[in-house]
Amino acid sequence: MATRSSSRGRGLMASLRLAVLQFLADPQWLVPSLIAPVIFGLVSFEIFRGADPVFVLYAIIGGAMMSMWGQTLYGSGWATGQDRELGTLEPTLTAPTPYLYVVLGRVIWNTVSGLIGGAIVFVVVTVSYGRPVPLDNPISFVLLLVLVIVSLAAVGIVFSAAYVYTRYAGFIQNIGEFAFYVGTGCMFPIVLLPFWSNPVSLLFPPTWALDALRYAAIPGYGGLSWGFWGDLAGTLGLTGAYLAIAGTVFVRVERHVLEIGDLSDY
Amino acid sequence: MGGNLRPSFWRVFWINALFAPKTSLGFMRIDFILGTIFIIPFTQMLFFAFVAQLATNASSPIAYVVVGNAVATVTYSAIFSVCQTTDSEKNAGTMEHLLVSPANRLALYFGRGLIPILISLATVSIALVYAVVLFGAEFAPGAAAELAVSIVLTAFAMVGFGLLLGGVALFFRTSIILGNIFLFIGLLLSGVNFPVSALPVPLQWVGWGLPLTWGIASIRAGLAGAPIGELLPLWGLVGLCAVVAFGLSIGLWETFERRALSTGSIARF
Repeated sequence: MATRSSSRGRGLMASLRLAVLQFLADPQWLVPSLIAPVIFGLVSFEIFRGADPVFVLYAIIGGAMMSMWGQTLYGSGWATGQDRELGTLEPTLTAPTPYLYVVLGRVIWNTVSGLIGGAIVFVVVTVSYGRPVPLDNPISFVLLLVLVIVSLAAVGIVFSAAYVYTRYAGFIQNIGEFAFYVGTGCMFPIVLLPFWSNPVSLLFPPTWALDALRYAAIPGYGGLSWGFWGDLAGTLGLTGAYLAIAGTVFVRVERHVLEIGDLSDY
Repeated sequence: MGGNLRPSFWRVFWINALFAPKTSLGFMRIDFILGTIFIIPFTQMLFFAFVAQLATNASSPIAYVVVGNAVATVTYSAIFSVCQTTDSEKNAGTMEHLLVSPANRLALYFGRGLIPILISLATVSIALVYAVVLFGAEFAPGAAAELAVSIVLTAFAMVGFGLLLGGVALFFRTSIILGNIFLFIGLLLSGVNFPVSALPVPLQWVGWGLPLTWGIASIRAGLAGAPIGELLPLWGLVGLCAVVAFGLSIGLWETFERRALSTGSIARF
């Protein structure tokens, strides 16, 4: 008889495997989520043309973040909506494996494909730039890029839990996309935003992670006043908090809809 | 049996105009429409305004960028939504029925375009109000009528272009990729955020072939209170884009329709 942890592990692996197979069966879906980030990266690069060469890094980081948003946050958040459309939400929630582990499997694959998307944006903008990107420490850049995507995934998991209660997941994500880009400062430091909006921005871990990435990559960058290490601590703390919140919310949501039996109402 | 069973042009037009939002355009719920008109233009303009502020590039001042994006937001309703009508028909399994129906294709196409044209008009108008009131874009009040003509022509041309893409999408399994490409490509090629002349020459030629490029040029000229002599050629080009797009979309539809009827293959795509 399987133990509780092995059952959860199997559920997670099965969900991950299914996500990979779905992607491999129709990999063209990477394209729509890449078109916007690549174009936005190129547009920003063109607007930054003539400014200091380090501005190409703003375009690369911003475009890569958008791609990772598309794959990670959008993909993870949309997972619940997709279950609802396919009619698999109720059977999945009533299965012995907690729903969180099913979502986690998808998130892991979305994180990997998000990094692939980020790498493609990097290559396209770099080719357009036509010169070596002024990157002093590529290893720390890649590691911090991974941190950005993990922070996005944490937000995605929380959204995914909340989306059990609503049919407006697509609406929130489509309409709120640019607001999220502005709020987290994906293409510019949030210190450019009005001061009153900064506390809202700081509620999202990607804001901190992106600021840390720019501190590490852009010489003379003037971001949040507490600097790189403060950003790093904030990212780790908030990402952990989001994951803890996601775990709690998932358990409560799952228990609630099972007790009340009103999932089909949403 | 006698009598003409073919429905009249206007019946087909109005039925498509009124029912498309609930059928082939059914994904355009009221919340999406309101979000497209009021929220997306503001957030998109805000995003590029901050990018322009950071860049301080002389060829992309904030006012230039916000006006360009105000017009470019028309693509959500005019291109992305309209382009997906073909997908909706295929998903609903109604494409084959539509292909064998005797409905006048011109009426069908224009009818389907009516609501997106109205939404596009509302989107550009609200976005331009944001540009002027919130971002301080220049507006010559005496030129309101000329600006209105530019907006209407642009909305028609863009919906025509959306229908053309919908026609191309008949041949594909899905229109999502096509829709996504043309949803955003204008930001790069149509003089939305920087002049078209800043692009490499081959890309400039592509840009000049897009209706959005001429639509933005005419709206920029309208906002600046350009004389009618300067506006007329721009209006002519936007109108030409609209006529070509509607004409090509009907031509494509007929071509693929013939092909589908002769090979019975439309359901395969």
